[in-house]
Amino acid sequence: MNAMNGWFKRGAEAIAAAGPQVQFDQVSLQYGQTRVLERIDLTLSSAEVHALVGPNGGGKSSLVRGLLGLAPHRGTIKLEWPGSPGQIGYVPQALEFDRSLPMSVIDFLAAMQTRRPAFLRPARRQRQQIVDALERVGLGSKAERRMGDLSGGERQRVMMAQGLMPEPKLLILDEPMAALDEAGVAIFEALIGELKAEGVTLLWVEHDLAAVRRLADRVTGLNRRLLFSGDPAEELTPERVLDLFSSHPTQRPRKVQQREDQKEVISG
Amino acid sequence: MAELFEVFRVTVQSWAEAGLLPSSLAYGFAVNALLAGVIIGPVLGLLGTLVVVKRHAFFSEAVGHSAMTGVAIGILLGEPYSGPYGALFGYCLLFGLGLNYLRNRTGLSADTLIGVFLSMSLALGAAVLLVLAGRINVHILENVLFGSILTVSGVDIALLAVVALLVTVPMVLFYNRFMLASFNPALAQVRQVPVKALDYLFVILVTLVTVASVKVIGAILVGALLVIPAAAAKILATSLSRFVGLSMLFSLIATLCGILIPMEMELPIPSGAAIILVAGSLFLLSVLARSLLPGLRGAVT
Repeated sequence: MNAMNGWFKRGAEAIAAAGPQVQFDQVSLQYGQTRVLERIDLTLSSAEVHALVGPNGGGKSSLVRGLLGLAPHRGTIKLEWPGSPGQIGYVPQALEFDRSLPMSVIDFLAAMQTRRPAFLRPARRQRQQIVDALERVGLGSKAERRMGDLSGGERQRVMMAQGLMPEPKLLILDEPMAALDEAGVAIFEALIGELKAEGVTLLWVEHDLAAVRRLADRVTGLNRRLLFSGDPAEELTPERVLDLFSSHPTQRPRKVQQREDQKEVISG
Repeated sequence: MAELFEVFRVTVQSWAEAGLLPSSLAYGFAVNALLAGVIIGPVLGLLGTLVVVKRHAFFSEAVGHSAMTGVAIGILLGEPYSGPYGALFGYCLLFGLGLNYLRNRTGLSADTLIGVFLSMSLALGAAVLLVLAGRINVHILENVLFGSILTVSGVDIALLAVVALLVTVPMVLFYNRFMLASFNPALAQVRQVPVKALDYLFVILVTLVTVASVKVIGAILVGALLVIPAAAAKILATSLSRFVGLSMLFSLIATLCGILIPMEMELPIPSGAAIILVAGSLFLLSVLARSLLPGLRGAVT
């Protein structure tokens, strides 16, 4: 009976703490005269790992910017929280950083995270939060290192730690694996698993389709229009992948396109 | 406040007469100048760290130089020679805000835009100064251009104290958000930092400090004290707290030495020039220390 109660309780907590559902409804976006996104309809379910793939300039980052409220768009983007609204975390693409800047990793994260000026030592509780987040990305031992002394992959992991504070319910990752080394990739994959178990909704822009197959619950292909959306194992067929990354998939007649694709496969 | 200041001055003067402090501090004006230096030095040092992190050195110099034009316009409009604060503040603020406004709209890079505006402003300043040259003794202007401790009055000190407070409070409150906005504006916006508003706030802070420091450092060199101490500190520091601490310390040393040394040695050097020379020496020493002590270089090659 007790065990049953405990289970119910945990179940209720999990529901209350789960990430939001995100609904894109007819979302269009343009920069100047260039249409970047055309009438995108897409739903991210609560607590799923949703990968966004597509060619460069296909509008992946623009969709993310729209969701974050950084780019004006038409149509609506709706967040439906299961309980009260929670935190939204964002991990931008690899950070350009002045390597000569005298800032330790702790200084850097304190500047992101706290209001107390980062040049004063952070309060113990805040320091603990920062160190905890660093440990989750495997950088606990490098908290006092200078940011400029880290490798590109380690800096990317610091940015990931940043996305974990305060604990997000919706986490948006823009090509988080681009700069990662092997150890970083393993840590990242473990972290995605943890976040998923916690019920966080994850939107994840990624180039590495093998990683998407391994980790994502659903995958959406984007090249100005929505090309496909579904289970990675079914959607990411070799033909689809070629289609996705060829230059003008929507303007070419299907037959010709197929023939060219085959040619590429043969020559490749 | 005023009484406290009187007590302070009398005490310093009596100690100087007794030989406990440098003898030049027996003069009232010297104590005024010193007090001005103590107030403004650390504030410039603190704001300087943000100027360096945000890569706004050229911008701060430009706002400083625009002070010259502001002074000229003020005198032309009939403000007192010793402190044309109205036109000074008005013109510098207009210059800084205009620059920031256009930077968001022309698509030109900041240094190009500053290059255009700075030369226009200097041309205007030169034109007005030459008009003035026919009417007044231009030597009076030297005080405003290069700083003079002889003219620092009790009113100036009160003004400095108010400005120091007005600048320090928002700077400390928003320090982290200024930093974040300069690292990654998109991330800053996601974290609810009002990036554009902070840009304008920063312009206002730089302008306020510039205007308040004109008396001691002079319009030509005031921008330099926003850059040099922070640059020296950046060379030596390994953490943010040292960076900020050293920058404030260097700035304080520069203002104090720059005011005291010419008085003690009876050199006819304007205080602004002396302050910047001291700051520059500290910078060169920092460069030297870094090349001699490998520990300061960190692991970056």
